Amino acid sequence: MMLLTLLLLIPFLGSLLITLLPGDRSSDFYRRVCVVVLSVQCLASVGLLVPFDASEAGLQLVETFAWLPSIGLDYALAVDGLSMPLVLMNGVLCLVSALASRQVENRPRIYFALLLVISGAVNGAFLAQNLLLFFIFYELELIPLWMLIAVWGGGNRAYASTKFLIVTAVSGMLILGAFLGMALLTGSVDFGLNPIVPGALPMATQLVLMGALLIGFGIKIPLFPFHTWLPDAHTEASTPVSVLLAGVLLKLGTYGLLRFCLGLFPEAWHLAAPWLAGWAAVSVLYGSLAAIAQTDMKRMVAYSSVGHMGYVLLAAAAATPLGLIGALFQMVSHGLISAILFLVVGVVYERTGTRDLTVLRGLLNPQRGLPLSGTLMIIGVMASAGIPGMAGFISEFLIFRGSLQAFPLATLLSMVGSGLTAVYFLLLVNRAFFGRLAIASGADPNPKVLLPVPLGQQMPAILLSLSILVLGLAPHLLVGLSEAATTGLSQIAVTQFSGGLS
Amino acid sequence: MLLALPWAAGWFRRDAHRPAAYLNIVLTLLAFVHGSLVLRDVMAFGPATLHFPWLTVADLQLDLSFSLSLTNVVALELITGLSLVSQFYSLGYLDKEWALARFFALLGFFEGAMSGVVLSDTLFQSYFLLEMLTLSTYLLVGFWYAQPLVITAARDAFLTKRVGDVLLLMGVVALAAFAGVMGFDDLYAWAATDSLSPLATTLIGLGLIAGPMGKCAQFPMHLWLDEAMEGPNPASILRNSVVVTCGAIVLLKVMPLLQHAPVTLVVLQVVGAISAIGGSLVSIAQVDIKRTLSYSTTAYLGLVFIAIALQVPVLALLLLFSHAVSKALLSMSVGGVIAATNCQDITELGGLGGRMPATTSAFLVGSAGLVGLLPLGGFLCLAQSVELIGGRSAGLVVVFLLTNALTALNLTRVFRHLFLGQPLLKTRRAVEVNWQMAFPMVALSVIVILTPVLLIRLESLDGLLAFPLWAAALVVGSGVVGMVAGTLVPLSKAWSRSINPWLRWFQDLLAYDFYTERFYRITIVNVVAGFSQLASAFDRVVVDGLLHGMARFSLQSAEGLKLSISGRSQTYVLTVVAAILLFLTSLSWLLR
Repeated sequence: MMLLTLLLLIPFLGSLLITLLPGDRSSDFYRRVCVVVLSVQCLASVGLLVPFDASEAGLQLVETFAWLPSIGLDYALAVDGLSMPLVLMNGVLCLVSALASRQVENRPRIYFALLLVISGAVNGAFLAQNLLLFFIFYELELIPLWMLIAVWGGGNRAYASTKFLIVTAVSGMLILGAFLGMALLTGSVDFGLNPIVPGALPMATQLVLMGALLIGFGIKIPLFPFHTWLPDAHTEASTPVSVLLAGVLLKLGTYGLLRFCLGLFPEAWHLAAPWLAGWAAVSVLYGSLAAIAQTDMKRMVAYSSVGHMGYVLLAAAAATPLGLIGALFQMVSHGLISAILFLVVGVVYERTGTRDLTVLRGLLNPQRGLPLSGTLMIIGVMASAGIPGMAGFISEFLIFRGSLQAFPLATLLSMVGSGLTAVYFLLLVNRAFFGRLAIASGADPNPKVLLPVPLGQQMPAILLSLSILVLGLAPHLLVGLSEAATTGLSQIAVTQFSGGLS
Repeated sequence: MLLALPWAAGWFRRDAHRPAAYLNIVLTLLAFVHGSLVLRDVMAFGPATLHFPWLTVADLQLDLSFSLSLTNVVALELITGLSLVSQFYSLGYLDKEWALARFFALLGFFEGAMSGVVLSDTLFQSYFLLEMLTLSTYLLVGFWYAQPLVITAARDAFLTKRVGDVLLLMGVVALAAFAGVMGFDDLYAWAATDSLSPLATTLIGLGLIAGPMGKCAQFPMHLWLDEAMEGPNPASILRNSVVVTCGAIVLLKVMPLLQHAPVTLVVLQVVGAISAIGGSLVSIAQVDIKRTLSYSTTAYLGLVFIAIALQVPVLALLLLFSHAVSKALLSMSVGGVIAATNCQDITELGGLGGRMPATTSAFLVGSAGLVGLLPLGGFLCLAQSVELIGGRSAGLVVVFLLTNALTALNLTRVFRHLFLGQPLLKTRRAVEVNWQMAFPMVALSVIVILTPVLLIRLESLDGLLAFPLWAAALVVGSGVVGMVAGTLVPLSKAWSRSINPWLRWFQDLLAYDFYTERFYRITIVNVVAGFSQLASAFDRVVVDGLLHGMARFSLQSAEGLKLSISGRSQTYVLTVVAAILLFLTSLSWLLR
């Protein structure tokens, strides 16, 4: 069974197919092909659940093949409880993003091909069990995304995409440097995912290497002060690209944080943990406060990502089993929630021609406004603010509960950040959706009446909201999938620094 | 099963109008009847607990658990009963509202959350449902979301409660982390043997009371209840009577934990006393009829807080019960006035007494039930409290009596404004409300009159009537003083603002609620807004500035270096080799 390879082959071959299809077809045709390919990929990811054994902590379905043994590059894929939910989410969100790509008139062939490349590369990064292989996939996703922003983006796209490219390339360089440094200093060139045993490297070296990784992934996540590329990128990117960026690509950073920073350097991690928790709290508060001051809906949602990804760092710093499962839960719920938010913002932008909160009013108006979008927005916003019954609350509760004993102050500050989330999202709903409908921007002949959005177009967001509710009311669905793996990861972190029981 | 009934009502979101409403009413009726059956069983066979495991992960175990104790089931009956009445009422009140189905869906959600709160047996679950209550309050207050005042009201309601909830969450998470259990009984057992530092205990205790404080609209988190009056009146009925009850019941459930943190008990007493006296004073200066009621809710819940702080749960429950039914009736009557006249300003109303007999009598009965004057619920509770509180802390008895007197004054004043005097412009054509509103009013009036009987059935007769004569005399005395003052105080429609500058200053101070809103705006709101502007500016200037500076620097240096190239390949090779050497040496030095 080459199930995992299949997950890479489907999108890559699909991309090739779209590129090579003869003739000049319409945008809709390519979109349909892309959706079909991504549906197959989504099904394959779900199919992965059949042979997957959730009670097993270690790697499963391992596929290895010595690709370039001389430089230690193995084609090694495997899945565990940490990557499984993320692979699933990637499948779902890429499909959502393809479904949402409705108005691609400019070179649709390349657009959809790139979308598939991103999906495949992200799958590869989540599944890779070789450092170099991970790096290849990590970089592979970069270029298509840069092009998606630079070619199909908004007015200021050149600036945003260049910023994104340069900053993320720095992140890639730091990560590669750390990987190479590890190989150089430990003397082994297998680039496997083996934790550094205590005493193998001097602590200072470990800290330097881990620091490089940390900053590299910190840029991707993004954490304060490496975050400014994100709001710009989101503002200029089109809706589907924003969904991808927030839902899937940021998770590469947090996944790397857990898998590589914590997984490879447990000793150094433990030493740095208090500082990391403090960093997390600063990032949470900073992101939330900066979000309050935004007037562009997309920027606001983007800053909320900065805040909410800080929770993951907090939980990773504490490295308790509960905290880590919370971190994973947060990755998934944030992916789903921000996808909804961006989809709704996209609908609002499409209908009204603006995302400016100082202009928009009363969109909830049942006859002339966007009532369904408003409802979805309220659901997404409330989930993001951590109202119980939805996925966001579970993850926040698990994270806070898991980190409180280790870092009381940082956790309490993060809780304040969660309170601030309610503030800015409430401002958003109150300003844009409540009140009287009176917008007059865009070239619509009668701007007072917004065209209703067809139900089919809202379906992805509706289904995502349902999944948020389901996860919020039955969290064991996700928790059961990953608990063994996160507990295992937390044990690595604990046993290694305490002198090693192994 | 019990809970599922109110919940199911949430299904009907945007269907046809009337059917959803009827369905909701039928479901609530079912819940009420079912609740009565359960109540009978509980009275016959003693309390029971329903227990379902929900989520077990790592060292955390969260269960859903419902405790069917007598108190809880009675509270459930109170909620479903009042909800039933007010749903019936809203059929009349929101007769021509196009979004009736949405209103009823939200009301069902609301009711479900409240029923869950009172039955909940774990702290986690209580928190869970309290937050849902926050959400549904937000949506209900924001029901008429096209009006600007409603928007701010909904925002403030959500955020104020959210502040309390976040503090409560801190307490809940801390308890979950330190105690490892979430069931109330387990927590009591743990608290008896805990070994936390006093500071930690105090902080947790403060966190635990913050949530109920927000819910019960206690000082300094009372502003939302007043603003929330912008929402539809049937929801206000529930908010003023049972939502606050929910908050107080959660507080009752954590009360045994608070014993270990004496500071929190003092805080509760102080908060309760300030809310009681401040609330009743402020209510006297209001000219909006709904607001006169909302501040008196704050005041009565302040009394409940004092009772809880002094560890007299029975008294707190009695107060909650009699307050809830009377206040619901008052709110209904006031809603009737608003529906008939489309006016909320008492200085513009008058002479409704003869025109709206049902509404008038409902107001009278509700007032009588609230104030300790006639032998109805309020009187019994207050007389009890004078006796019970007097034994513990004499100073607080004064608070009770003063609140009683001031409430009597206020209600008499409002009654004179609304129902007596000459009919004014807006009341000249007022007619009695339609039967859907009148019927629940009458029904609830009967319940209020029967309150003593109900209380006596729950409590034993001896326990309830076991207060000395002097306590009764004090209560009645304070009530009479309040009423006489309310009757004698000069009321002038045109001169509702005093001419005397001192009096005027005082009146304004109370009318604007001690300027609490302005105080908030100056302090918290400004601080948060300032910090957010700072963060945003920091982003643009420092972080982005640094990035842009680096970009500019590299571009400019490239431009500069462009001119310095020699064109000789030897130099290039030499530079490259030197750079590699430099890099490797630095690396080896760094990673030594």
